[in-house]
Amino acid sequence: MASVEDRVKEVTARVLKLDSNEIQPQQSFTEDLGAESVQSIELVAMFEEEFGIEMDEEAALSVSNVSDAAEFIAKVCKEQGVEA
Amino acid sequence: MSTASSPKEAGLQKDANRQKEHRLVNTTEPNLLEETFDYGLPPLIKFDGPIIEHIDGEPIEFDPTLAKHRDIHITDTTFRDGQQARPPYTIGQMVHLYDLMSKLGGPNGVIRQTEFFLYTKNDRETLDRCRELGHRYPECTGWIRAVKSDFRLVKEAGLKETGMLTSSSDYHIFNKLKFKSRQECMDSYCEVVDAAFEAGVRPRCHLEDITRADFDGFVLPFVDRLMRMSEQVPEDQSVKIRICDTMGFGVHYPGVELPRSVPKIIYKLNQECGVPSDRLEWHGHNDFHRVHANGASAWLYGCDALNGTMFGYGERCGNPPVEGAIIEYISLKEDLCGIQTEVITEMAEYMRSIGFPIPENYPLVGKHFNTTRAGIHAGGLRSDERIYNIFDTAKLLGRPPRVALTDKSGADGVAHWVNEYFELKEDARISKIKCHKVARWVMDQYEVDGRMTAISDEELEDKVRELMPEYYEKYKGALV
Repeated sequence: MASVEDRVKEVTARVLKLDSNEIQPQQSFTEDLGAESVQSIELVAMFEEEFGIEMDEEAALSVSNVSDAAEFIAKVCKEQGVEA
Repeated sequence: MSTASSPKEAGLQKDANRQKEHRLVNTTEPNLLEETFDYGLPPLIKFDGPIIEHIDGEPIEFDPTLAKHRDIHITDTTFRDGQQARPPYTIGQMVHLYDLMSKLGGPNGVIRQTEFFLYTKNDRETLDRCRELGHRYPECTGWIRAVKSDFRLVKEAGLKETGMLTSSSDYHIFNKLKFKSRQECMDSYCEVVDAAFEAGVRPRCHLEDITRADFDGFVLPFVDRLMRMSEQVPEDQSVKIRICDTMGFGVHYPGVELPRSVPKIIYKLNQECGVPSDRLEWHGHNDFHRVHANGASAWLYGCDALNGTMFGYGERCGNPPVEGAIIEYISLKEDLCGIQTEVITEMAEYMRSIGFPIPENYPLVGKHFNTTRAGIHAGGLRSDERIYNIFDTAKLLGRPPRVALTDKSGADGVAHWVNEYFELKEDARISKIKCHKVARWVMDQYEVDGRMTAISDEELEDKVRELMPEYYEKYKGALV
C-alpha cells in the first residue's frame, strides 16, 4: 500500500494537474505548486475523500507543504480510527 | 506640482501649539465602539458640541442634541409629489401603501401626515378609503393651488389642513404666475390664506423655490404677514410654513449665504419671523445629491417636520426618502420609538410588484444594498457579519447580508452564499471545504467559459441542488 505521502502527492497532482513524480515533500502548495484559493479548498476536500476523514477547515488550510500535509493527515487518521 | 494642501490653504491658521503627539493605545481586546455602533440599531449619531453658523455677522450656536428631545417627525408626499413623477397609482395601490406607511411610522406618528390631491373623483375616493382604515397616523391632508375656489374641495373632503402653493422666488412670481408685482402676488396669496381661515382649514403655505428667492425682499415680509394673520385664528389653524427647496439648491453646511443656506433659512423663519418649530417643514429635492443631508439638517436647525416620499421618488431627481429619514430619526433618537423598520422592506417589495423600479444598489432596499462581491469581504462576513454589514439588517429589515458571486468571491463567498441559502447559523454552517464543487463551478465560469457577468441566485440554486445534493435534500427537501 502506498505511503500517506505518496497518496498526498497523487491527490495533489490530480487537483493541480501536475506530474506526481515531480512533486517534492518540502514544496509549498501555493508558492511552489501554484495552488490558488479554490484549489486549496479542493485539495483539502480531495484529501478527505481519499483518506475517508473529516478535517478541521482552519487547521487543514494552515498546512503549507506536502510533507506537513502527510503528517497532519496521518495524525487525523489516527485520531479518527482510520487506517492510513 | 504637489496637490497636498496645507492647513493655511484649507483656510486654517497654522498654530504650532495645537500640534500633539498621538500615542498608540495598545490592546489585545478590540474596541468596537458599541455605544455608537449598537448592531441592533442603526448607528447612533452622537454630538460633542454645538454647530456654529454666522448669521448677519453674529456667531449663532445651534444645539443639535435638542433634536433628540424635540417632537421632530416625518411628513409624506408620496401620493402628491411622488405621484407627479410617475404614472398614477390605482386607488387600491395607494390605500395599501397608506396602510403600510401607517404601520411603518408606528403608533407615535413618526410619519405624522401625508397629503393627497383633491381634484378628481379618484383622488377623493382614495382619500375616503384611506381614512376608512381608521389609522390615527399619518393624518391625511390636502394639496391645492393658491386659488380660493379650491377651498370648496378641501371643505367637501372634510380635511383640517391643506397645503397650498405660495411660490416665493421671482422666477415663479413673475415668470410663471405672471404677477405684475410682488405686492400683487403677496396680496393674492394672503386672500387665499384668509379663505382657508374662513373655511376653518389650516393653511400650510408651500414657499416654493425658496432657495432661489429674494429672502429679505419677499420671503421674510411675506412670512411676517402670515404670522400676523395667524394671530387672528386659534393656534390649531395658524399658518404652517413648508420650506420648499424646489430645485435642490439648498446647502446644509455652515457658511453658505442666503437663499441657499438651510441653517440661515430656518433660523430666520424660526427666530426672526417667530414661526415655531412645529409649524416649519422642510421639503427638498435631490437635483444635487443633497436631499437627505439637507432634510436631516433641517431637523437639527429647528424645523420639526421633514417631508419626503417613499424611496425618494418625486419630481425629476426626487425628494427626501422617507425610509432614509426613518433611519436618521432612530439614529438621532437612539430608539426605535415604535417604528416598524421591517415594513420598509415590505413596501419596497410591494413597489417592485407594481412596476416601480428600485436600483439594485439603492440604500436599505436595493436588491444588493447589503451584498458583498469580494471574496475577502465574504471571508469577513463569515467570521463576523458586523465587519461588512451596516447594522443587523436581518432583524431590522428582514434582509441578512448576502454575497453575490463573481470570480472575485472565492470559496469564502461561495460558502457564505450557500449557508445563507440554507439559512444555517453558527455551528450548523457548512464549511467551505464542503462547498468546493460549487466554488470550482463558479471559477470555471470565468476562467474557462470567459463569463463577464455576476452569477444569479437562480443559477446558484440549480448548482447547489446538482453539486451538493445531500445538503439540498437535508435543508430544502426532495430533489424532484
